[in-house]
Amino acid sequence: MTEVKNKKIYIKSSEFIYRVEHLTLEGTCSTDHGPKNVKIKNLYVDKYPVTNKEYLNFVKKTGYQPRDTQRFLAHKPKNNQSNYPVVCISQNDAMQYAKWVGGRLPTDEEWQYIASGPDYSDWPWGDKFDPSLCNHDHNSLKPVNSNKQGSSWCGCEDMSGNAWEWTSGVYDDGEHRFALLRGGSFYYAHDHWHVGGGARKTNFHWKLQILNEGMNRASTLGFRCVYDA
Amino acid sequence: MHKIKNVKNKIINFSSKDLFLSIDYSKKVNLDKLIDLNSNYNFLDKKSNDLLKIKIENEIIPDRFLKIEKVSEKTHNKLKFISLAFSQSFKKDFFKGRISIIQKKENVIDVIFQLAGKWKNNVPKKTSLIFPFLRNLNNHKNFLKPGHVFNGKKTLKKSAWNFHEYPPAILTDKSKNFAIGIEFYDQFPWQANYNLSMHEAISKEGFEKYETEVQLTKNLSDVIVMRLYTSSEGKNKVFNLWKENTRSRYDLRKYFKPKNTWIKKNYITHFTFAYGKESFNYEKIKFNIKKIIKEGKEFGGYDSLIFWHQYPRLGLDNSNQWNLYKYLPEEYKSIKNIVRECHNHGVKFFIPFKPWDVRSNESLDYHAKSLENFISKTNIDGFFLDTMSSLPESFLRIQKKFPSFEFASEGTPREQRQIEQLTSSWDQIGDIRRNYKVEVEANMFRFVFPEHPLNLVSRWSVGSDKDSIIKRAAFNGTGLVIWQDVFGCWLPFSKKQKQLIKKIKNILDKFHAIIFGSNSVPLIETLSNGLICNQFCNNSNQKIFAIYNFTNKNIKGPLFAVEPKTKIKLKQIYGINTSLQIKKRKEILAVFGTVYANEVALIHVKY
Repeated sequence: MTEVKNKKIYIKSSEFIYRVEHLTLEGTCSTDHGPKNVKIKNLYVDKYPVTNKEYLNFVKKTGYQPRDTQRFLAHKPKNNQSNYPVVCISQNDAMQYAKWVGGRLPTDEEWQYIASGPDYSDWPWGDKFDPSLCNHDHNSLKPVNSNKQGSSWCGCEDMSGNAWEWTSGVYDDGEHRFALLRGGSFYYAHDHWHVGGGARKTNFHWKLQILNEGMNRASTLGFRCVYDA
Repeated sequence: MHKIKNVKNKIINFSSKDLFLSIDYSKKVNLDKLIDLNSNYNFLDKKSNDLLKIKIENEIIPDRFLKIEKVSEKTHNKLKFISLAFSQSFKKDFFKGRISIIQKKENVIDVIFQLAGKWKNNVPKKTSLIFPFLRNLNNHKNFLKPGHVFNGKKTLKKSAWNFHEYPPAILTDKSKNFAIGIEFYDQFPWQANYNLSMHEAISKEGFEKYETEVQLTKNLSDVIVMRLYTSSEGKNKVFNLWKENTRSRYDLRKYFKPKNTWIKKNYITHFTFAYGKESFNYEKIKFNIKKIIKEGKEFGGYDSLIFWHQYPRLGLDNSNQWNLYKYLPEEYKSIKNIVRECHNHGVKFFIPFKPWDVRSNESLDYHAKSLENFISKTNIDGFFLDTMSSLPESFLRIQKKFPSFEFASEGTPREQRQIEQLTSSWDQIGDIRRNYKVEVEANMFRFVFPEHPLNLVSRWSVGSDKDSIIKRAAFNGTGLVIWQDVFGCWLPFSKKQKQLIKKIKNILDKFHAIIFGSNSVPLIETLSNGLICNQFCNNSNQKIFAIYNFTNKNIKGPLFAVEPKTKIKLKQIYGINTSLQIKKRKEILAVFGTVYANEVALIHVKY
């Protein structure tokens, strides 16, 4: 891989064995969790999650306004938070941005490969959990470049903790629609009935059941883009 | 008649209208006789029936150390008692005790065991009590543990029991007309020296080996209080005597407030999981309540919906359970519109409360205020208490402001205050983690507090287990929760199952007064093996018998006894049709018919 201009990192096409662990609390996550062989195409990936500054620039330049504005950018970023991950955006809001910058959201498989790499590391930085390398169990978001030491094999930062990240798929099992979130966040709710919080391993996804856009947005949920090479 | 005290032979007797007890204290304290005075039948068929043995560490104090200190008897107005005070010295430890029999009500007798201990060096030793007479009673062929039934010579547990009041074990004489109920009332499960786990022990296997541990004090303290209920009208009457005595401690006014009557007819409640096509239209991005209500007609119509969108979603960020309503389409208006739609169709609407989401900076008062505010904005009818079986005090004030507002909990309330305050709940069974099989058995709570509506649910059950849920609801006369979307798993009822539920709903509604009647009795005696039967009854001349064949073969023959009246009308109102007849069988009048294998039938009897 090579870091290129505009904070994008090149990922060379590769095959890897996809095996993911999931948590849905009660209920089930009806996707194929592997193990299965998947092929990752040549692509570029954002080194960092999309920031407030970047997203607000998109809104300003395009006049983007979602049809359902509930909770859209409800975190109201302050000036000194321009380098924080943008949150309170739905999967659709994220896709619109990605399209504007010529990219897309990573698939669940791509995200895992970018985070764990060919060595299948449990955490972006290696196999051992180290809370000093990510924003975990903290009281707020941090700038996206706060944990350089916690970068993944390819140089992507902030892949575990700080803010969850959308992936691209919308799954429909006939009765429900859901998406898969990656990476975990800084936030750790106190009870075992809550969505499990904190930083998450590279091989973990959370099933988020889709509803209206207001419910699909969260103050811990952002994204990064990939670009077909 | 028997003399109360026979000083020469060291015997003391106690007699009620029906029962005669005789204690021989010449060499040890032995319960010689426990006699039904109507038939002169002695329940104690063995010679040695020590009332009590004290075990210090691993040694039972030998009888030779027993010294009788005083024998008393007194009758004053309605109250009478006998008592026997004794002492025992053993290895420099000293014990004193008193066994008393006291009666206030005609059919209720208390046998009280009190003990004290004075320890060498003031350091107590492990002390256990053994009751050989109880072991003998337990081994009596007509002894029934609470919630058990006879099936031939065997007894089977055919009940679910999930609250702190335990019904009595029951002994019947040869004719089964006379019955004694044996209760160990449990005021508080952790109270030292008072019926410690006796109520549970007597209902389980292995009671014959049970020893209760006590911590003796210097002064006499109650260690065991055994309450006997007697009746010459059989075990059903004993159950009702016990029920009456138990209920007399309760303040049940809340169940009878006129504005809260709707909850008693909340037979079919729908668990409205927001994240699925059953309730949400992903294209129109709105909840389709009309569709849910329409689909509910197949179940006989939903009486209420429980709207569920916070779990499994809370915790993704720091939004609390109230914040999540703001994120719905049109915020609160979305709920308000849903509630209006529901009310237009006569359907009540619940939202859930998640106690596990209460944050360190939130109080239950805060949640009560939030709920008040929410009710004002949306007109919801009830609050469903997720994971709870009690009603927080803070929520009580809501019903003062909104008198028809109701609370329902996921767990059936277990303790007195909770049963008094929380006027409806789920009867939830099943555990996904334990390969649970739904059993058709009597829910005893339902018969003690018939005014407390229950909605049966076993969320993960499918196929034959779903069939069994329906049978269990029919057998117990309870409503149901229609929960088809279990947090993203679609587990629908079949067309046939829907039809059966519709039938149950119609029966619950049509025969409400009988099915929820105060004289209903669980697990009455059946006349053929392989059957269990609940009897629903109020004070009218009508009864409904719910009978279940728990075997894999059809059972044809006598089913249950009916009162010896000249005009009796029988009608089967649920289950696979069978021809019913009334015939005399031995000394009783019995209903004959066929109950099909693993099926429930409901039979309406009008005198």
